[in-house]
Order: sequence, then structure tokens, then C-alpha cells
Amino acid sequence: MKQQELNNRLLEIKDKLIDIEQKSENRIFLLCEAENSYAVSKFLFEDVPLRFLIATGIDSDDCFEILYHFSNDQTGCFVTVKAFIRDREKPAIESIAPFLPAAEWIEREIHDILGIDFNNHPNMRRLILSDDWPEGVYPLRKDTKLPILRVAGEPSGRPIIQSQSPGRRTVELSKPVVAVGPFHPLQEEMEFFQLTVDGEIVTDIDVRISYNHRGVERLSETLQFDQVPFLVSRICGICSASHPLAYINAVEEIAGITPPDRALYVRTIINELERIHSHLLWVGLGGHFIGYDTVFMWAWKYREPVLDLLETITGNRNNYGNVKVGGCREDIPNELIPKILEELDKIEKKTEMLTKAVLDDPVLHARLKGVGTLSNEDAIKYAVTGPTARGSGVAIDVRRDDPYAAYADLDWNVITRTEGDVFAKAVVRLLETFESIKMVRQALKKLPDGPIAVEVKEIPPGEACGHAEAPRGETFHYVRSDGGNRPIRHKVRAPSYVNVPSFRASCIGQHIADVTLTLAAVDPCYSCTERLAVVDGHNNVVQDYDALLKLSREKTARIKKEIGAPEIKLEDF
Amino acid sequence: MRWKIWSLKKSVWVFHVNTGACNNCDIEIVNLLTPKYDVERFGIKLVGSPRHADALLVTGVVTAQAAPRLREVYRQTAKPCVVFAMGACACETGIFNGAYHVVGPVDKIIREVDPNAIIAYVPGCPPKPEAMISGVVKALSVL
Repeated sequence: MKQQELNNRLLEIKDKLIDIEQKSENRIFLLCEAENSYAVSKFLFEDVPLRFLIATGIDSDDCFEILYHFSNDQTGCFVTVKAFIRDREKPAIESIAPFLPAAEWIEREIHDILGIDFNNHPNMRRLILSDDWPEGVYPLRKDTKLPILRVAGEPSGRPIIQSQSPGRRTVELSKPVVAVGPFHPLQEEMEFFQLTVDGEIVTDIDVRISYNHRGVERLSETLQFDQVPFLVSRICGICSASHPLAYINAVEEIAGITPPDRALYVRTIINELERIHSHLLWVGLGGHFIGYDTVFMWAWKYREPVLDLLETITGNRNNYGNVKVGGCREDIPNELIPKILEELDKIEKKTEMLTKAVLDDPVLHARLKGVGTLSNEDAIKYAVTGPTARGSGVAIDVRRDDPYAAYADLDWNVITRTEGDVFAKAVVRLLETFESIKMVRQALKKLPDGPIAVEVKEIPPGEACGHAEAPRGETFHYVRSDGGNRPIRHKVRAPSYVNVPSFRASCIGQHIADVTLTLAAVDPCYSCTERLAVVDGHNNVVQDYDALLKLSREKTARIKKEIGAPEIKLEDF
Repeated sequence: MRWKIWSLKKSVWVFHVNTGACNNCDIEIVNLLTPKYDVERFGIKLVGSPRHADALLVTGVVTAQAAPRLREVYRQTAKPCVVFAMGACACETGIFNGAYHVVGPVDKIIREVDPNAIIAYVPGCPPKPEAMISGVVKALSVL
């Protein structure tokens, strides 16, 4: 949809709004009262239609504000519905989750941290706060005194097996339940999945997070604008270039700063190197999940040179800390460029070999195709982003739709597949790796001379949204400044936050043996999600992750036999 | 006790516990198993259950939700068990110090269960794989 057309459509709901603020060509804020937010959001999502990003809850002085962020991907335009809840005693607003499943989690989160009630929410349970968090204490309200003293956990002896928290859905005892987590041998992070099964078929899936919730958003309000990038790069180790960049994009928009060209190119190079190592990491883990450890070892081996490159450029293998408001902290010395280009050639050759090996393998075709399919409609309904969306035929990519850094100057393609299964997601990631290598190469050759930063005096009052394409999808940051030296509200939406709930669409109806793989296919990142083993005590079949993994591997072996694939011998390599 | 410690020091089997980390330390730990570092040469391997583990590799700040689980995992290990606090967060909560959902650091939570626990610290954000190997070697050589 063209920008003009969008502006015209927005006028149709003018009578429900207090005001329309157009901050710039593609940043629009619609101000309304809480009663009208449901109608306005529904209009934006169903009639216009726009993609839902996230909601932000803010404790302003005299009221609560809920911001629903939408995006028009054709022009990279943000439309934000800002709803005012005037009643501070019993704040409530109509839930938009009934027609927009992507909003289910964020409304639960806002209920947790700000204590706002969402009427008619389908599933209002605790999401990100711990089981023992006291009721009625809302960490993001300005008048809440922190730190809060808490009970030290269970006194001694056995743990509480059956959690009393509202976070655990009570399951009918007649149905067998498979519990996965919170610790299991392969996943690096804690999360808890509860699969309800009928024979081998999964009929329901539920997830409990909170294990990784650290409270970055509140912490960010205590740091200066220039310190926040160090914090947000530690939201997630693998997105440690894209989180700060999205934040910086927002802050630079508030202050109206244009960084020098060279800084934009350096940012692009670091972000694309990050994508290469992250995608290789996923390919390795994907191989591991189906019992194909050769792919795991290969992919991680070829990932090492990328980390070495990043260390050469920024001084650290991860957590680069290279981006700041107004530019970059460290330059890429010109004499380093030939060395990086040479290294890239090697990486490309190795990745090509890996890609061919993966894509030509008949076992992988049989094992991954048609598994964990996320249909195009579901992808839109759950508002997924990144390779998860592009694997389901939703051609969105922030780098093309709303170019930041130096992406507009580079020549590259957005990779999409329409099948939506695990294989499609693998293909998207592998081919994207080559696009990234291409981009880094171009950026290095075009790298303009000049300074890498401009001086920034102060950040004026204002609010802005910034986003960046992380390896897993779109990272979205909302920053509000009151003219002081700290942000007064900083909202972070990581890509996994919308990708993870799409499990409900892709896992239900699958075999148990395929679930681990389907869960892994979106490349979930819980530290991002939550900035974000106690096994269930049901008297039913309880399997652990080892058993699940064994099932998955047995299925691979069975398929191998069926299609008559040759046994792989060590001599073949 | 001497022979228990002696038997612990060769071919250490480790269990990895993430208690709210940013994933960096965790990925570097998995990195240790892959061809470039390949600590399995020394008999070090990741195991699937704390009951099989000689050492816990704990990463992360210990969030309020993770703390009871960390205690339980420690209780399940066979003693003596060495706890490695991997990374700045695990050592002293790092950049997340003072956040409302953080109850760590790791040593505080472990000592609630066992005041005499053996805890080794590997600082860094994230520690490089080389640093992790060096930390493990140092800790085992003073045991």
C-alpha cells in the first residue's frame, strides 16, 4: 500500500481518534481513548491491513498509555495507536487478542508488569514474572519501590512439583502429557513446554517462560542514553549487534541525528557478519536435532572464522559494543579490508559446500519436508518475522522495507519460500548466508572515507520507534525521552517474541518425533524473548527430552532405511 | 574424600545450567565441543542429567524463576561436585546488577543449599573458549 493511500485510509476512523500526529512521512501516531482502541486496532489489522508489531505499556504521570505498534511493510511505515487509560485505580482496556493471537503474550506481559486488566482476554495467566512473585506488585509502575524483597524459595527438601502458579495450565488428567524442560540436554536455555498428546500426535502445546526474564526494560531507565547499547547488546548474545542498532535507530530519530556514511557502512558490515555466524549456528543445531551430527560439527567449524573476523574488527567475539548514538566507537582500518575479503572467500566456499551437502541430501528432504508447516495465513495471524515469515511466503525484511544503516546502497535479494515447512526455513537461512556474504563484500569495497561519529550534545524530549533485521527477524525498540539524559521508557520486542507463539499453529497435529525440530525451526531465543528439571507430577506418561530426541533420531533412521539411503562411512569424507 | 576428589579430576563430565544468561556463554560452551576446541579429547563431555555430572557449568544471573531450579539441580548432583560460574553474570550478576527479577549471583544461591560447595569463577563477557578451558584446568589443579 502506498503512503498516500494509507493516509487516506486512516482518515476513515478519524471520528474515533483524538488526534493524528504525523512525526515524519512514515511515522504516524493515532491518539485515542481506551474505549476506542479495540475498534481502531481491529480496523488497522483487518481492514487496512497492517502487520502487528507489539504493544507497549507506559506509566505516565496522570494516566496509563498502551501503544499498539503496527507496520505497513510496503513503505516501512509505523502506525502506532496510543490509547490513554485515565483510571489509575482500576486500569482496564479491551483486549485485542481475540482477533489477533500475536497480541496474546504482550497483553499478558503488560498485565504482569503494569497491572492493567485486559477485558475478554482469552488466556490471562502470568507470563514473565516468576511463580513466587507477589501479587499486586508491578515492576514497571513508577511508584513501585525496587528492589523488592522476595521469599527465598522453598525451604528445603524436594521442590514443589506441582506449581501453584497461574502460569501452569491445569490439564485434564485423562490426557497424556509430555513435559519438556525447564532444563534439557540440548536446548541451551530454560523453557518449559507441555505437550498434550493423543498417541503419537500432539493435540495441544503450552509454554511457560520467565526463567530468563531479567528486567532489562526497567534497568534501561536507570542508564544514560550512551550506556544503554551495552545493556541491550547483552539481551541476547547472538543478536548483540542488532539490538543496539535498533535502539540507536530510535534514539537518532528522536534527536534528528544523521551519522556519517562510514559509520553506516561499519554498522552494516558488523550486522551482516553476525547474521552469517547466527545462521550457520542454526544449521548446525538443526542437524543435531535430527541426529545428523556431522552437519553440526561442520557448521560450527565454519562459523569460527566469522567470529575471528568479528574479533579482529571489534575486539570481541560477541557483544561487540561498537555502535553508539551518532556513529560507531571503532573504525575498520583500511589495511584490514584485504584480509577480511580473503577470509570471506574462504567462508563462502565452505558455506557453499555445506549448503550443497544439506540441500542435496535425500534423507533431509524426506525428514524435513512437510514437517512443522506454518501456513501463510497463520504466519500473518501470528505476525511472525524473519526467516520464519519468509519461509512461509511473507516477503518482509526490514533491510529492504525501511532501510537503515547502508542497506539501501547495496545490491542484494530477499530470499523467500512458500512451503512454510522446516525445510523451507532451512533453505531461506542457508541462502541468506550467501546474500550476507555478498553484502559484506560490497560494503567493504564501497566503504567511504571520513569520520565514524558525530558529536551528540543532548537528546531532546520525544518518542520514536526503531527497528533492525536481526538474524531471527525484526527487532523493534521504542524509546521515549523527556529531555533528560536517560530514557523514561524503553520497550524491546525481540523477533522470537512473536515467532515462538506460532508453535501453536505449527506443532499441533504433528508427531511427537517432529516437535523438537519444529520448535527449533524458528530458531527460538528465549533470552531475547524474555529480556525475557522440574518435571510435571501428573500420573501419566512423562517423557524427558532424551526420549524425545531418541524418537526424532529413530524416525530419521527409519526414513533412511525406507528410501534406501546408503550408510555413511567415515572413509567417504 | 581424597580419592573422591582424585577420581573427579580426570574426564570431567559436565552439566550445563542456564539460569538467565544472554546465550553468549552458553554458545561458547557448546563451542568447546566443536572441532576448533574439541574438549572431548580430554574426556570432558556434556551430559544430559545432573546425576551424571562431576561439574556444573552455570551461566547467567539467576532469575527469580530460575533460582529454585538451580538449587534443585545442585541437589541432584553427586557430591563432590564442582560448580563453575561461567561469565560475568554468573560471577557477580554483571551488567544486570540490581534488576528486579535477578536474585543471583550463582554462588549465593548455591551456598544456600551447600555452604561448603566448591565454586570456581571464570569471568568475562563472554569468556573466550580458551579462557573457559584455562579456568577449568586451573580449578582442577588446585583441588
